[in-house]
Amino acid sequence: MNLRPLAALGIVALCASLAAPSAPVSAAGDTILFGSAVSLTGSLTKEGHLTQEGYEFWKTYTNAHGGIKVGGKTYKVDIKYYDDESKPATAASLAERLIDQDHVNFILGPYGSGTAFTVAQMVERKKIPMVEGNGAAEKIFSQGFKYTFAVLSPAKRYLEGVLDIGKHQKPAAQTVAITAASDSFSQEVAQGAAEWAAAHGIKVVYNNKYPETATDVSSIISALKATNPDIILNAGHLNDAVLVHKALKEQNVLAKMYGYSVGPDTPDFTNSLGKDANDVLGGAQWSDAVKYHGDPGFYSSAKDYAKAFEGAYHHRPDYHNAESTAACLAFQYAIQAAGSLDPEKVRDALAKLDKTTFFGILKFDSRGINVYKPMVVNQIQNGRLVTVYPPGLAEAKVKYPAPPWGQR
Amino acid sequence: MSVASTGAVLRKIGLGGITGNRTALLISLGLMALLLFVPLALPGYQTLFRTTLVFVALAYAWNMIGGYTGYVSFGNMVFFGLGTYCAALLSARGIDNLVADIALAVVVNAAFAAIIGFPVLRLKGHYFGIATLGTALAVTDIVGNLDVFGGTGGLAVKQVDEAHFAIYYYAAWLVAAGAIAITFFVARSKVGYAFVAIRENEDAAAVLGISATKYKILAWAISAAIAGAAGAVYARGNGFIDPSIAFAEDFNVYPIVMTLLGGTGTVAGPFVGALILSAVNETLGHTFLKLHSLFFGAVIVLVVLLLPRGLVWLIGLRGGVRTWVKSLQGYKA
Amino acid sequence: MHLLAQDLVNGILAGGILAVVALGFSLVWGIMNIINLAHGAFVMLGAYVTWQLFTSFHLDPFLSLPISFVVLFVLGYLIQRFIINWVARAPVLTTFLLTFGLSLLVVNIALLIWTGDTRGVTTAYSGSNFTIGGITVPWAKLYTLIAALVITGVMYVWLHRSKTGRAIRATSMDIGAAQLAGVRVAQIYSIVFGLGAGLAGVAGTLVSLSYSLNPAMGQPFLIKGFVVCVLGGLGSVEGALVGGLTYGIVESFASQLDFSIGSQHISGAGLQDAVALVVLLVVLIFRPTGIMGRATA
Repeated sequence: MNLRPLAALGIVALCASLAAPSAPVSAAGDTILFGSAVSLTGSLTKEGHLTQEGYEFWKTYTNAHGGIKVGGKTYKVDIKYYDDESKPATAASLAERLIDQDHVNFILGPYGSGTAFTVAQMVERKKIPMVEGNGAAEKIFSQGFKYTFAVLSPAKRYLEGVLDIGKHQKPAAQTVAITAASDSFSQEVAQGAAEWAAAHGIKVVYNNKYPETATDVSSIISALKATNPDIILNAGHLNDAVLVHKALKEQNVLAKMYGYSVGPDTPDFTNSLGKDANDVLGGAQWSDAVKYHGDPGFYSSAKDYAKAFEGAYHHRPDYHNAESTAACLAFQYAIQAAGSLDPEKVRDALAKLDKTTFFGILKFDSRGINVYKPMVVNQIQNGRLVTVYPPGLAEAKVKYPAPPWGQR
Repeated sequence: MSVASTGAVLRKIGLGGITGNRTALLISLGLMALLLFVPLALPGYQTLFRTTLVFVALAYAWNMIGGYTGYVSFGNMVFFGLGTYCAALLSARGIDNLVADIALAVVVNAAFAAIIGFPVLRLKGHYFGIATLGTALAVTDIVGNLDVFGGTGGLAVKQVDEAHFAIYYYAAWLVAAGAIAITFFVARSKVGYAFVAIRENEDAAAVLGISATKYKILAWAISAAIAGAAGAVYARGNGFIDPSIAFAEDFNVYPIVMTLLGGTGTVAGPFVGALILSAVNETLGHTFLKLHSLFFGAVIVLVVLLLPRGLVWLIGLRGGVRTWVKSLQGYKA
Repeated sequence: MHLLAQDLVNGILAGGILAVVALGFSLVWGIMNIINLAHGAFVMLGAYVTWQLFTSFHLDPFLSLPISFVVLFVLGYLIQRFIINWVARAPVLTTFLLTFGLSLLVVNIALLIWTGDTRGVTTAYSGSNFTIGGITVPWAKLYTLIAALVITGVMYVWLHRSKTGRAIRATSMDIGAAQLAGVRVAQIYSIVFGLGAGLAGVAGTLVSLSYSLNPAMGQPFLIKGFVVCVLGGLGSVEGALVGGLTYGIVESFASQLDFSIGSQHISGAGLQDAVALVVLLVVLIFRPTGIMGRATA
């Protein structure tokens, strides 16, 4: 049997499948269709799933509570997902497909600043509004984009609260050492912290970065130890937060406060480090202890949201879940305010949005990011995460200074 | 040394047609022609196909140094990455012209390959591969640390508006077509024979009067130029470049996988491989939302086991199933 | 000065793990001409075996070393015997591609079994250290270095003294001659790949003490393994050790570079990879087969 024509046919057929679209899903008469590319596989799998959970939770609630009323008609909501494999370029391509092929009404953002940026560019060209809750980097909001809105606080704010706590202790903390991973989000967090410290009288005695792929940070920690800082800040991701923390213990570095941008809020941090995780502080976009009273249309308190969420997903919601739900809420309020599904009208309504929710205030500055919502600071106390800042929302006093290693 | 006599010598030592298989080539050209219609017929897939065309170009770039010359490079993504930054830096200076982007990328990368080639191409086999990988990783690091390149924050690249956006698609198509054409003409020329001679037996080639150093650097410079051009076009199409995008691992590994799949050292191989791999990836993505990566790995394993010599070879196979089965024994331990 | 001494110690301790990671990789590559891109995935599996035993049975990580070795050895043996051996004599790129696919498979299966959650192994003695002459030495890292030295020593002796070891070395030098001498090449290949995987598993156990676990964790170790192998010399046990220690020390000293030119901050720690790779290129120029490499390619 001659294989040649078979093989040739096979090639052509396979290539044709490349173009074969999946059954195009267009917004049916009474459904508002949202599209979202999230990282269901790849390095950001965990966070992508948390984002999806946040979206789905809102969708289920809304459909069960009468959907969204637009101009006298009631609409259900639906969300179409694609997996961006944690890759920014893939996310953009999928956003294009959602808009041009699947004809979604609006875009819900992906997880991560890199992916959020490429999708922001895409929606800007296509003139379809996107609200996202998981990409806080400055570059997304310094391009003059008009169609992207972020419900979360900017990256630079992440560790300011920790420094503020240190400043208000008696005696006040005087010096800070900052280590950061080399990716742009962590660098922005570090930069924000360094700027805040300099502006408020805390001396930055060490400020260095390490590659994201670092397998050993002992020598950076040795150098840091020599500067004897009161506060140690790390801007990175879960992997390196654990690496840094372990190295600090190994090198016998004792500071009065440890603040990490990512880590404490994730149960994995406490699970990985056990007792050593105690007393570590972390900046977070939200915690279930905040005392906002949300406008009607959804759960009005953080505690109610947390309880319902835990009932549905069997784990306490962390801020990634909450900020994703908040993104959906922003759309909900904007659509209702606009009284229409027209992308331009909804975009304008988003720009003027000013609502309070269980997540905090939803309001965007002229660049599209939510500078009006403060960050909270959580601390791990006896294996539990408690909110210790800002003072008005705190549920416990901060434990300061941190006790020596071995006594946590 | 004329083409005729080199060819005669090569035939004597058992090497025949270097261009590969004509059927495969014709199919490839046909599909390339079809791809011209994507922006009109499938607008929702424009980005996907544009990216595929970029990968086609990268596969051809790799094929030039790895497939034809036999110097397996694990760091070709460095040329792609530098190409993207060429476009980004031009954009930062207010020059927004695709021709300028591509021209700069070609010149910079060919020069870079020639300069790096002197020390690195003296290494053989594995050591060459690792040295190229090392170069790529080092450049990624350095670019990510220098503010002039925007550091890890990256650089935005100015784009045309939505109405004219298809220009980036056609630019990618042109780069891919150019890569195929260059490969075709090089393969049939004296230069191509020299490359293959170096691959098969570098010492014998030297005895035949072929200057290995000169041709190796030429091969790598061509490879770098193609990859750089692809990078410049990609940057404009993407609108934003940072080290994690420009030097992404995908741009390193996938062109190699694609060329292997299609068939190294052939003219149609990289194209066939690139398209098939993209098609498989997409189909899996549609069918299995979460498990597609798993099945992708399984597909690769199966393809390597069943088609270790690549698809183009299979198309050119005379003899049918039994010959194919017998061919599998040749590689068995 | 005192900081430099601490850096040297840090570097040696870090290099020990890299040496073990590179050891298995180097053997497979040097002896069978197979670049095993799934090596990082095997390291990851070794780490997860340790984690699972630690979490479910409170087994100390060092006690799980032999278990992760055996588990990964068996896995590697089976993979070579029933999958890779089909194309073992193919050009290096074919097996490169095959192991790439295998790597995807292994990582994604691990993702299904253990999910993407990040795990850690924190023992009672984690972080405990002692100070000698002003230099702090963490116990866990010291044990790891000792384990690395012991493993390297055992491998060296086994390869040079035992019958199988000598058969392996013969196969790598000249397949034809080895076959004539009665060596069953397919079997040897399976053993070597199993060995490579087993050593990766051991490396994973050691890595789990300081590094977080998730299915994608093997990647940085694979890349560093590449460089360490070539730096030390392919296929050479001593080479993996020397290469690993060298790489660790270079990375450590590079971290101390921390200065600014104008507004441009030059961070050696941020440029770790670039520095180490420059060292590699320099070494290859003067010794093209690596620090301890032999003349045969």
